[in-house]
Formats: sequence, structure tokens, C-alpha cells
Amino acid sequence: MMAGDGEVLAVEGLSAGIRLRTSAVDAVNGVDLLLRKGETLGLVGESGSGKSMTGLSIMGLLPSGGHVAAGSIKLEGRELVGLPERQYRRIRGNEIAMIFQDPMTSLNPTKTIGEQVAEPIRLHLGASAGQARERALEMLALVGIARPAERLGSYPHELSGGLRQRVMIAMALSCEPKVLIADEPTTALDVTVQAQVLRLLHDLKDRLGMAMLLITHDMGVIARWADRVSVMYAGGIVESAPTRELFTGMRHPYTQALLACTPRLTQPRENTLYSIAGAPPDLLDPPAGCRFAARCAHATERCESEAPPLAATRPGHTLACWHPVDGPLDPATTPAQAPVPDTEQAGPVLDVDDLVKEYGGGRFALRGLKRSVKAVSGVSFAVEPGRTFGLVGESGCGKSTLAKMIVALEPPSSGSVTALGGKLNELRGRALRRHRRNLQMMFQDPLDALDPRMRIGAILREPFEAQGIGTAAEQLAAIRELLDEVGLPHSVLERYPHEFSGGQRQRIALARALALNPRVIVADEPVSALDVSVRSQVLNLMKRLQAKHGLTYVVISHDLTVVRYMADAVGVMYLGKLVEVGSSDDIYLRPAHPYTAGLLAAIPEPDPDAGDRIEIGSEMPSPYEPPSGCRFRTRCPRAQARCAEEEPQPRDFDPGHSAACHFPLREPQVTVRTG
Amino acid sequence: MTRYVLRRLATSAVVVLGVSLITFMMLHGLSGSPGRAILGVEASAEAVAAFDREHGYDRSLVVQYVMYLGDLLQGDLGYSYRLNQSVNDLLAENAGRTAMLAGAALVLAIGIAVPLGVFQAVKRNSVGDNLLTALTFVAYSMPVFLLAMLLIQVFALGLGILPAQASQSSSNFVIFTEPRAMLLPVLTLTGVTVAMYSRYQRSAALDQLAQDYIRVARAKGLSTRMVLTRHLLRNACLPLVTLIGMSIPLLLAGNLVVESVFNYPGLGLLFFNSLNNQDYPVLLGYTLVASIMTVLGNLLADLVVAVSDPRTQNA
Repeated sequence: MMAGDGEVLAVEGLSAGIRLRTSAVDAVNGVDLLLRKGETLGLVGESGSGKSMTGLSIMGLLPSGGHVAAGSIKLEGRELVGLPERQYRRIRGNEIAMIFQDPMTSLNPTKTIGEQVAEPIRLHLGASAGQARERALEMLALVGIARPAERLGSYPHELSGGLRQRVMIAMALSCEPKVLIADEPTTALDVTVQAQVLRLLHDLKDRLGMAMLLITHDMGVIARWADRVSVMYAGGIVESAPTRELFTGMRHPYTQALLACTPRLTQPRENTLYSIAGAPPDLLDPPAGCRFAARCAHATERCESEAPPLAATRPGHTLACWHPVDGPLDPATTPAQAPVPDTEQAGPVLDVDDLVKEYGGGRFALRGLKRSVKAVSGVSFAVEPGRTFGLVGESGCGKSTLAKMIVALEPPSSGSVTALGGKLNELRGRALRRHRRNLQMMFQDPLDALDPRMRIGAILREPFEAQGIGTAAEQLAAIRELLDEVGLPHSVLERYPHEFSGGQRQRIALARALALNPRVIVADEPVSALDVSVRSQVLNLMKRLQAKHGLTYVVISHDLTVVRYMADAVGVMYLGKLVEVGSSDDIYLRPAHPYTAGLLAAIPEPDPDAGDRIEIGSEMPSPYEPPSGCRFRTRCPRAQARCAEEEPQPRDFDPGHSAACHFPLREPQVTVRTG
Repeated sequence: MTRYVLRRLATSAVVVLGVSLITFMMLHGLSGSPGRAILGVEASAEAVAAFDREHGYDRSLVVQYVMYLGDLLQGDLGYSYRLNQSVNDLLAENAGRTAMLAGAALVLAIGIAVPLGVFQAVKRNSVGDNLLTALTFVAYSMPVFLLAMLLIQVFALGLGILPAQASQSSSNFVIFTEPRAMLLPVLTLTGVTVAMYSRYQRSAALDQLAQDYIRVARAKGLSTRMVLTRHLLRNACLPLVTLIGMSIPLLLAGNLVVESVFNYPGLGLLFFNSLNNQDYPVLLGYTLVASIMTVLGNLLADLVVAVSDPRTQNA
């Protein structure tokens, strides 16, 4: 590789592993990366692909047992591998800085923001306390924090997630590093905040002339913000290319498959989602040849025995593959989804009427304050049998509380849920328990939702036992049938949840939800803990089972593309209220509410030519003090005086499409609804 | 904050009242006449009855308790006929020496446990960690009197380098004036708590080490020592504060044994002797004071946590 063309950081043949008690994980295997001044290199891969380990290797911060086994890391020609710790410390936070995923836990809870931002300045630049404070103030202003002088004395818990990530950025950039490693910097943030933070990082990179390594699993983020991309799979780089070239003319089958798996708003709903069969290899015992071979449609015998080297196919485009492909897959080539049979319209299977959930402020007992919060504030909708209702909104908008009320895990403060003709809040004891059969729930993190000390067999048997259904033999037969349905072998019955991958666990959770043959399944973020390739497998499975059993779904997600693919009707929630309801097309193609439009604009599309769109500024206000009138007005580009005074009532825009806004993006229909 | 403290004080008063009621009923209900206990087995039945009548011990327990409460409200803990001294004076005379002993042991225990726990967390699963874990478990599972006996056997009787008996001086500051004589009692009492504290500190430090902010601090370029002292220590000590507040009863109980074994004139020895003498007023008074200290200790610990953890102040 040529030095001199703005090259700041060069990683060559980097291999890193983690020693365990009796074995070793081969986490990073021969990685080459090149970072140039003022350039963003995207490092994309699924969980366990070694992308974070690569970042930590560069920082010299591998976890205990971790070590760099081979290769070199050169910062402006200076070798970092084998550098004594004392000298490495002078580089960390000074010449190379790193931002981590979760801003909620990345700041010390008992130190002020000012202290934490000033710390590297005092450490590396030898500044006095006063100078460091001045610089910290500058940095907070630079990352777009309003009233930075007041924020210096704040503690992390007083700040929202987006603000904390800005503080993290201020901290990382305070010594003007040459290289910034951003490891999933926005994964824990809401989509609207994600767009703000990524733009900030991009602007600061340009202003300070840094090189940025953007580590992410999200092809959409890569498409929009990276100049070049390296794709990682099972510890190694499989392909590197300039962003546009990678998205339009990728050569590696994995890159092709990864992009095809990434759901888009334009995804045809009739077709199944593209998915990669199988799971990544076990890095305790990696295969000898190409590590993707076992999941690759183009694999031959050579792939299984001989690992392809990473070589340049043309300037700036490197590839490790024996049988390269050419360009992206046609999304229409996936097989059609089984159609959902039309059930006789006997009215809605689920009817949510003016549901309210109010929590008292017990947490504030220390100060003797009583504050209450309306997590859900007057939500109504109905779902027809065999259909899917999607619920979208940012974290804290009340989606999950609503879900728990629908399945009667949480009693509403007022309003009612009617499921299959029975009002849930009027049912008690045995009748409610019998009714629960028909209402099941799927949770976000399947590892949390499965008892770690129960075998899969016991987990799947439990619903039958709780309802007193069948003999042991009948239960076992039913469990086997369930496993067939979700595509798991019968041998899993004797195993424990931790022995499975995320996708397999979510299949088990789905099997458990299906056990009692329910009519309604409420899925709260069913795939957000899963990798892209596995995500599409689970979504396809959910659709297939819906068609087969005539299931009714309520799918809750912060991911608008998932809801677009799954739902027939969609509700958009903001601060406990449903601001817009309509068919999937109404919401995604003809949104009336500015919030819906803003959410859609914030989605990073996996397309480098998608261009810029209007973004929503700031963050959701505290639900303890919701704004007067329209709750969205504090972030709305169209807000006027009337929005603060008068709460907008839902108005119809199309049949079945209503939105609550005084100044909608489209003209409402003439008839004005009352109440 | 003020309202919170006032409310906690009010509930504390209820707890102390409950403790006084239960101990009063137990002491008076379970054993014989106080007159018999004070006058001895030789005294005639008439003399005992006369004594009981004179001091109101012949009235119903409820009336006696109400009278006791009335005295309590005036700050009068009762009178020890055995020792011919008011309970107030007895407790006041001995409290200082006990406080010095328990305080020294507490300071020493914290001083050892905090760095030990952090060290073990940082070096977890190393030979040193496992060795220290084994040692702390031995200390943890050993009864106080056994530890005291062992220390006496080794250092006083065996090596002969330290006295087997604590200082008999009536000064409150014997720890400073006669440190050699106080070393074994303090060490014994430290042994009671240090194992528990260090185990707790180890797990608290492990929890904090796994937090992302520790990795962030290292990514800033801080040395391990700076990461530990500037970032980890405060967060890892917060849970320990609560534990210390809760371990006051343990310390008082340990005190009782240590003072008896080493014959150290403090509250513990007073209580122990009063127990043998069935000296009810002293027993009652001591229990009451101990319960007040336990309740206040917990309150104090909660307040310290509230003050040092910004998250609890204005959530």
C-alpha cells in the first residue's frame, strides 16, 4: 500500500484472539484496513464478525485474555503492535479516540459532565483545571449542546440518550484525535436522533480533518455516511470498496446477500424476504476454507478446503472469493409469500378503546414529590382477524406498555381492550386465565424471555401444563409439531436456552407463543435483537405461520422497515398518543402527520444515492411534562401558536386513515370527526 | 430531603418503641420476680414481695410498661439496684470505651476490605484472588469467640508478644495510650466484619468493572490506577455504605463477645454481667440504645448514599 496519500492508519494482516480457559476464539483473522485523513471507512458486519474486536485491537484495549496474534497497526507510520502500555496510553484518547455503543452506560454516573469531558484534556494536553474547563465548554458547544455552561455541572442521568452520546463525542474529540473509532455509535438511539448524531460526526470529521472508522451492522448507515466500506464476516474482511461501488457492483456473495437481507421501505410485501440460510461459523473451531462457504450458494469444493486470499480486483476494490458475483440481487427474485386467507369478516378480533395507563411517581419518594406519568394516553384501534397491526414510535412513547395491556399483563387505568368478544378488564380468575390462551406475546430479547435453567422441552411444555391440556405424551407430540413448524430439530428439547443463537431462541419463543394455538400474538420488537440475515428468517417464518393459522399480529417496532413489511395497518405513537393511523400504504406513501414524515425521512436507506431529507430536530420531551396542545409541537417544523393552545383531534384523510394535526401535510377529507 | 429525613425518623421512632415493648415483655414475662433476682435466693418471700410492691413490680405488665415509657420520655432509662447506679450513668460511663473499640475495628475493616475487594476484582480468578477468597471465607465462617481464643493462644500464650487481656484503664482513649493491649480485641472485632465487607466490595467492584464507563475511561488514556481511583472506587463503594449501616447489630454483638473474652470494661461487658445478674433495667436500657443505634446507622447509611450518588437526588 502506498503511504503519503493522506494515509493515517494502516492495519495489515491483523489477527487477534481471546484465550478462554480451555480454548481460544479466533476473533479477528488477517484484517487489512486503511484510513485516510478526512475520510470515513465503514466497517460492516453482523454480531460476532470481529468488527468491535478490530476496533479494540487498534485502541490496544482488548478484553482480558485478548491479544494481537499477528499483523501490524501503523499510526502515521508508527507501529502500535507491541508498543509498551505507557506509550500506548499517550495515544489513546489523544491521537486515537473511540466512541462506544451505549451512551447510557458509557458515562460515569457519579461524575459531572464537565469533569468527564475535561479529563482527557488535562491528561494529554497538560492543561490546568481552568483551561480544561474552558476547552470542555468549547467542546460541548461544538457538539451542539445548548447552554453548555449549565451542562458542565450536570450528571449523566440528567441527560437524554442523544445528549449523552453528544457528550461522549465531545469527550472523544477533546484532544482532536487523528483517528476516531465509532463503534455502533447510534445503535442504542432512536432513528430521529441517530440521523442527528451521524450528521454531527460527519461534520466534525470534516472540520477537524480526522479519519473515522465507522463500525456498524446497518447497511443503511454505511450507505449514507461512509466513503469506503470493508465488509467483515467471521473475523475476516471479505470485500472492501468505495461505497457506491460496493452497493452497486459488489463481488462477494456475502456482501450481496447482506444487502439483499436488509429490509427496505420499497420491499414488495407479497414476496418473502431474502435470507441467508444457517448461521455464522463457530470461531472456536473455524472452517479451513472460506468461512462463508457453508452458507454460500456459489460454494464449490475448493471453497471448503482453501481459504481465498484478500486481493485487489481493481484499484481500491479488494475481494476474498473464488467465485465472485457481479452486482446486487434482484429483490423480486425471492419466492412469493403464501397469501393470507380471507377470513369471514365477523368484526375485529381485537378492539382497543380509549386505553389509558397512568403510573404514579413512587420513584420520587426521596424528595417527597408525587409525579405521575401517562405512559399511554387515550389510544384506540381495532384489528381484523388474520391481519397485522403495526405500532411504531420512538423509545418511551408507550408502545410496550400498550402491548402489555393488550395481553392483560398490565391493567389499564381506564379504557378497555376487547379480544375475541371478551372485555379483558372485566374478566377475572379462571375466565381470564382461559382467555389468555388466545393472547400470546413475543419479547424483544429471547434470552431474557426464556428461563435460563429450564430445558427447551420444559419451556415448551409449560403453556400446556398451565392450562391443564393433554397428557404428557400428547403434550410431547404437540411440542414436536411446534418445533417442526418453526424449523428446529427435535433434538433441541434436552438443551438449554444459552446453547442457541439469537435467531434460534426467537424461534423457540415463537413456538412457545404458538403452543396454545392462540388467535392473537403481540410481538414487541420481535427482531430488533437479531442480525439482519437472521431477522429476515424470523420475519418470513412469522408471515408463513400467520397464513397457515390465520393469526392476528400486533407487531411493535421502532424499525419502520420491519413494520412496513409485516403490517396491513399501522399506528404511529408519540408520547402516549396515537398521532396517525392508516393502512400501510397510507402511512408510508401518503403520511399526513409531520411526525410520521419525519420518522420516515430519518430511516437510513441502504442506497448511497438516497440523498438528504428533512430530519426531525431535538428529542422527545419528558413524558412527565408533556407539551400543551399538540405534544409533537416542540419538534415540529410546521408548529404555530394554535398547536400550543389546542390539542388536535383526529381527522380523516382517506378511508381508515386519520391523523391528529392542525397543519397536516395533506388536506383532510371534509367530514370532521367529533370526538 | 428534609421531609424524607423526618419521615424516616418517625418510622425509626416506631421501630424503637416496638423493640422496647418486645424486650420489656420478654424480660419481665419469661423470668421470675425482679425482687428475687435482686435480693438473691437467701431473701425471704416477704422481703421479695415487699421489694416488688415498693418498686411497682407487683402491678400488671401493661401498667409497668406504661410507667417505664413515662420515665423513658423524661430520659430516664431506669435504676440498677444491683449496681446501685442509674442506667443512664452506667451506659454513659461505658459507651465511650465501646465506641472507641467498635469504631477502631470498623475503620480498620473498611480500610482493609475496600482495597482488598478492588484488588480481588481486578485480579479475579487469579491465584491471589482465590487464596484471598479462601481466607475470607475461613474468617467469615469463624465464630467471634473462636477467633478471639485463637488470637490469644497464638499471640499472648504462644508467642507472648501481646497481652491476653485488654486495657483495664477507665480512660476512653486506651486505644491510643495502650495500643498493644488493645490490638487483639480490635483485630478480633475487625475479623468479624472484614470478610463480609471485602466479599461485598469484590462483587460491587466486579459489577462496576463490567460497566462501559470503565472501558471509556481506559480509552481516554488513563492508567489502570487512575481508572480505579478516579472512576471505579466511588461507584464501587456505594453499595458498601449500605452494608456498613446494616452491619451495626453484628458489630454490637461482636463487641459483646470480644469485651467479655478480653475483659474490656465497656457496654458489652456491662451487658454480659447484667445478663448473668438478671439486671433488667440495664438489659432493657442497653437493648434500647442498641436498637436506636441500628436504626440511626441505617438512616445515616442511606443518607450518605443519597448525598454521594447524584442519581438519587434529583431523579
